Amino acid sequence: MPTDQLSLTFAALADPTRRSIVTRLAEGEATVNELAEPFSVSLPAISRHLKVLERAGLIVRSRDAQWRPSRLQADPIDEAVEWMQSRKQTWETRMDRLDAHLRRKGEQDE
Amino acid sequence: MSDSTPVAAADQQVLITRIFDAPRERVFRAWTDPDEVAAWFGPEHVDTPRERIGIDLRVGGRYELTMVRRGGGGEFAIGYEILELVEPELIVLRSDPMPEVGMHEPTVVRVEFHDHGAKTRMTLSDAPQPPAARGHAEAGWSAAFEKLATLVESTP
Repeated sequence: MPTDQLSLTFAALADPTRRSIVTRLAEGEATVNELAEPFSVSLPAISRHLKVLERAGLIVRSRDAQWRPSRLQADPIDEAVEWMQSRKQTWETRMDRLDAHLRRKGEQDE
Repeated sequence: MSDSTPVAAADQQVLITRIFDAPRERVFRAWTDPDEVAAWFGPEHVDTPRERIGIDLRVGGRYELTMVRRGGGGEFAIGYEILELVEPELIVLRSDPMPEVGMHEPTVVRVEFHDHGAKTRMTLSDAPQPPAARGHAEAGWSAAFEKLATLVESTP
């Protein structure tokens, strides 16, 4: 299992419940109870998801407060967004070339 | 699959939509005929020589090409497995992992070709796919992710 940050980030976000949790945390920190509210899953299940997110470095959980609120860590997510944007750029350039190629061919065929 | 019901699920992140002034059979061929692919796939200043392109056009077949930097700056091979193939409507490719450029996981490139009058509307998505999360159910994560990016960027 690769342990580079991008792989960890994408693996952690490959689950719809964890994506919802992360989206919720983007609005501000929240406790396990608050995070569990919108879902029909148990608190322990939510805790397991939080552990995955924590291991991937996407969230930090306060050590001292009783309810250990979770907070989003932006850096790994920024890195992943950047990576996605560079993929997009690569494909955009390629599609420009495909477009030009189809135009050239079209003229030759006429 | 008909054109009135696009395959792209509403929540699937589509990275790129393009209109090409050619029928979709033509655009599909540009993606699947090695002679055609050689003409456009490489980025600027990079060639994808015809003799180094191999496309075994069937589900489970390989889609391989080598990018060669013009002026002798090295080469870079990329390979995909063809996961889905519906002529002239759909190609789904899964990339081989490329750890040397930081891509440790496969990505899935989904290209759809729709009639758009006499033209073709092509949609392309390219998303990471962890091995444990194969299949369409997981295709939606990147849309949420983009929204998240916006939120994160606006949060100090």
